[in-house]
Formats: sequence, C-alpha cells, structure tokens
Amino acid sequence: MPTSPSRSTNRRPASARLAAGVVVVALALVAFTTGLAALGSAQAASPAFHVIVNPANPATQVERAFVAQAFLKKVRRWPDGQTILPVDLTRDSAVRRQWSLDLLGRSVDAVKNYWQQLIFAGRDLPPPELPSESDVVTYVLHNPGAIGYVSGAAPLRGAKVLGFQ
Amino acid sequence: MALALAVSAAGGARAEIAPPAPRPLSSLESPPPAPTEKPEPPGTPQDSPAPVAPAAAETPAEPPPPAPVPSAPRPDAAPPPPAAAAPAPMAPPAEFSLSGLPPLQVHAFASQGVIKSTKNNYLVRHSTRGSFELTEAAINFTQQLTDRLRTGLQLFTSQIGGVGDFRVQADWYYIDYRAADWLGIRAGRTKVPFGLYNEINDIDAARVPILLPQAVYPLLSRDLLLAQTGIELYGYLNLDRGGGLEYRGYGGTLYAPPPTPTAGTTVTDFSIPYTAGGRLMWETPLEGLRLGGSYLRLRANAAATITPTDPAMSSTMLSQRLVFDLWMASAEYARDDLLLAAEFGRWVGRLDTTTQPAMQASTVSTIEETDTRYYGMAAYRLARWLMPGVYYGGLFHDRAGLVGRQRHQHDIAATLRFDVNSFWIFKLEGHYMLGTGDLTGDLNGGATTDTLADRWFVFLAKTTAYF
Repeated sequence: MPTSPSRSTNRRPASARLAAGVVVVALALVAFTTGLAALGSAQAASPAFHVIVNPANPATQVERAFVAQAFLKKVRRWPDGQTILPVDLTRDSAVRRQWSLDLLGRSVDAVKNYWQQLIFAGRDLPPPELPSESDVVTYVLHNPGAIGYVSGAAPLRGAKVLGFQ
Repeated sequence: MALALAVSAAGGARAEIAPPAPRPLSSLESPPPAPTEKPEPPGTPQDSPAPVAPAAAETPAEPPPPAPVPSAPRPDAAPPPPAAAAPAPMAPPAEFSLSGLPPLQVHAFASQGVIKSTKNNYLVRHSTRGSFELTEAAINFTQQLTDRLRTGLQLFTSQIGGVGDFRVQADWYYIDYRAADWLGIRAGRTKVPFGLYNEINDIDAARVPILLPQAVYPLLSRDLLLAQTGIELYGYLNLDRGGGLEYRGYGGTLYAPPPTPTAGTTVTDFSIPYTAGGRLMWETPLEGLRLGGSYLRLRANAAATITPTDPAMSSTMLSQRLVFDLWMASAEYARDDLLLAAEFGRWVGRLDTTTQPAMQASTVSTIEETDTRYYGMAAYRLARWLMPGVYYGGLFHDRAGLVGRQRHQHDIAATLRFDVNSFWIFKLEGHYMLGTGDLTGDLNGGATTDTLADRWFVFLAKTTAYF
C-alpha cells in the first residue's frame, strides 16, 4: 500500500484542489438527485400505505369515507354484519401520520384529541395501537373483522389489500 | 382447531376461550400462514362440540370483541386456517383483563388551575385576589362485554369555587347496547349531548381553551346541563356521498342540589321531574365540516317557606315551576391541525311563582327570559407541543327590568396550549370581559350585577395530567 505523501513535499496546487472539490460536489449532487429519483420511483412503485383486511373478509373495495368512519368508530359493522375491528399504529409512526392526514383528514394529535373527547365523555374507546406493522398484519390475520394499514413496502403475509375510492 | 372454528360458527363460543396470560409483543410467534387452501366453512358439525362457557351460552349470537393483540398459535395445536378460524385473542401486556373478557380500560385525569381577575369575582369566590379553586379529577373504567354491549363508570370530583366541594360523584355510568350502526341504546347517567362540546365541559385535556365560551357552556350550571339519568337512543347513518348523520335523543331526570336559600327562606322541596332533548349532527361531504342542532328541555319544581323577621307576621308559602327550553345551532370545521367552531343559541326560561300568604288568596306571577348566546372559536396546532386558540363569545339577557351592563357579557379570549408530552398539558389563557351579565351577586358580596365593574380581565393557568 503506498504511503501518503507528505503535505510539505507534495502539495497539490490550488486549482487542482478546487477542481477536486467541484468534482466531489458534483458527484454528491448527482448521487443526491439519483437517490431522490430512486426514492421517487420507489414511492411511485409502492403506495404510501395499504389498507388491509382479513382474507375472510368478502369486501374488496369500499368508500374512503367508510374507512375513515370505521377508524373513528362511527360505523361498527361491515356490510355483511361482521364487527369492524380497526387497529392503529402507535402515534410516533410515520405511516400513521401519513394515514391520519390522508384518510382521516386530521393530524395524529387532532385524532388523539377526538378520542380524548369520547373517552372522557363515556362514548367510546380508541382502536388498539400496535407498535409495528408486523403486529398490525398479525392482528388482521387473526381477527376476521379487522382492518388496518401498513406501508406499501410492508410484507402482508396473506392479508388482503382493500381497495378504496 | 375445532375450538377456533366453533368460534366463528357459534359466535359467542369465543367467550369460553380464556385469554392466555399476557405476553409481551416480542414474544408473538409467526402469524398464521397465508391462505393457501380454502378454509373450512364455519359451523361444521365437528366444530360444535367445543365447550361452551355460560356467558357464551347466554349470548350465542354475540361474540365479545377480541382483545387488541392476537395470541400466538398454541404449540400443541395445528396451525389455524387463515380465514374463518380466529385463534384465541390475548390481552396486551399493560392491560387488566377479567377472565374471559376483553381488557378493562382505565383512563384518568387530574387538573389544577389558578384564576385571577382584575375586577369582579368570576366563577370562584376570590378570583380578584387569585384563587386555586379550579380543580378537577376523574377516573373511568370501561368494559366491553360483547361486541355490542359495553358498560362504564366515571368517578369525578371537583372544586370550582363553591361548586363541587371535592365530593366524589358518578359523573357517568351506563350500559350501552349498540344493536346496529343506526341504533344504540344507553341506560344510566350519561353526558348530555348539547352543542358541540357540552360533554367535555369539565375535561381539560379534550379541548384547547381552559374555559369553553361561558356564554354557551356555563361551568357553574354543570349540575343542570352536563349529565342526565335515564335513557338515550343514538345512531349513525352513513349517507355515502352525502356524508353522515349522527343523532342522539334522551330523556330522564337529574339530581341537582336545591338552590341556596336566601335569609329567612327555607326550601321545602326541590325536584326536576324531567329533562329531555336531542342532537342532530350532519357530517357534510366537505371533509371536516359538521353542522347540527341541539334541543334541551328541563323542568324544575321548588317550594319554599318565607318566614318574616317579625314573629307577629305569618309565613308565606312559595311554589315555583321553572321550564327551560334551550336551542343551539352548531358548526365545526376540523381539518388537519385547524379547528374552527361557531355556535348560536336561544335559551328561554319561564318561571311561574305562586305566592300563598297565610289567610290570603294566592297570587301567580311569571317571569320570562330569553337569552341569546353565541361564540366563534379558532385554534391551530403550530407544533405537536403548541396549539394556540382564540374565541369571542357573547350573551344577551332579554328580561323585563334588566338594563345596562347586566344585560350582556362579551368575552374575548386567547389561549396557549402546551402539550409537554402525551400525558401532560399546560395552558395559559387571558380574557377581556365587557359587561356583567354572567356574574352573580353571590360571588361578589351580594352586590347587584349592575354595580359591578363593566370592563375587566381574567387570567388563568391550568395543568392537566391524563392517560
């Protein structure tokens, strides 16, 4: 392995250092933009989240409003009469933040406030919160009426993806 | 496996499955395999011999809801079919579960506030010199018995000026049976659905301001407006593209303390024969916007004896009949981190008083009053830890003989809500008040409200821990 040249004896000229710096910055920019593009294509390839239900659930597509009403426990029954069992991710989950804004139209904190109102008014209780997407999938697979959401890249292990309008 | 299939077939058979001991989530084993074969249809004969617990036998068509966290497959059991077979659920680690039932949910809060007004005592006896008589605490227990049946209880204690006095009372308790989305019934003592926020008037964590607009949600009338004991019917209709419709109707009575008698007066009877009302709330197709109306009718009877200071004079019997009709129109827009709300109400009260002096004919007098009450409120969450809010509220009393500043009260308020963490909040609030219409002489040394200061400020701070 060659030894590093001494600074004093083999100093590169300023123009060379400038050129090297430009190249490094250019490479960094290329890498950054390439990464962004890759990230963008990855996001385009897999949606931000999947709405999943138990494979036994006959529903294949529901209204987006129905999903929101189910997670806020305004509706409690699937069209076939089965009890809807929504399940959430914990509040610090990025997927839940996105889910909350996109599907419920409110931030996670606003939804938390909604549940505080219902809890202390004696009206209802929030869905269980599970710490990982894997737990959500497991919950959905074990409960026929369950409905959950996971990121687009999460392994579904047989859980059915529900389409919604 | 036969046990699991029986669950799906017989419904309530799930009740006989005792949840295994709580296990940490990390101990969860792999979920059932992906559906690679057609699941057995539920209710096949070989599934039915599963032992049936008494609870299941009583409610065969109504399984209890599963616990939030699914159980791992038992090592001695074959892997369950993926769809129809639901393995026995188990309780999550931090929850308490009675045998055979889903976890009992426990929630609580404790609040302590301080209030200081520049003039006039407001809500509490000594707000002008600063008062800590702004205390609330509650703990509630909710048990889901089956997927349609739930019961709950909240114990509440408070000290808001002279109201509450740290007595522990059942704030609400109920048995709730939700037959379908469109129809549920609750029996017990339930919060009164009046306007947008009446049910959370004493729950600091569930709102932005320390004081909800007092024109519409008067804290000192808590005993009359907050909860009723009786029956409530409720439901929700999904209107598809038309949004959703939430409706609630109730009827019952309430147990309020008798009014404080003046000197020389003895209250001999006080009762509230009934209170009834309802609320209709339309969740419009515009996401986050809901519009609605509420109505409440309350009747109270009172009887008193007035004993003159001169022993030579005879006592006078007094009987009163009071009827309130309260109307409220409501609008709320809650989208992302923005909250806008406005309400407008007319409250009509009619007091018939029959005076029966000794040895004389009785006379009847009537007093009618119509209050106009309203507010507009805005709040926006700037960060997870900070949510400022402002509102303007106003009330006008329309009653014969009432003039000047005591006819109205305007309230301009600004609040900062700090969410220190998920269980602890701190709030600061300031009010500019104009008028004395919402003040009482009782808190102000017996002064009449037309002699109290017309323009004044109120400052509050409050902290609440909750879970």
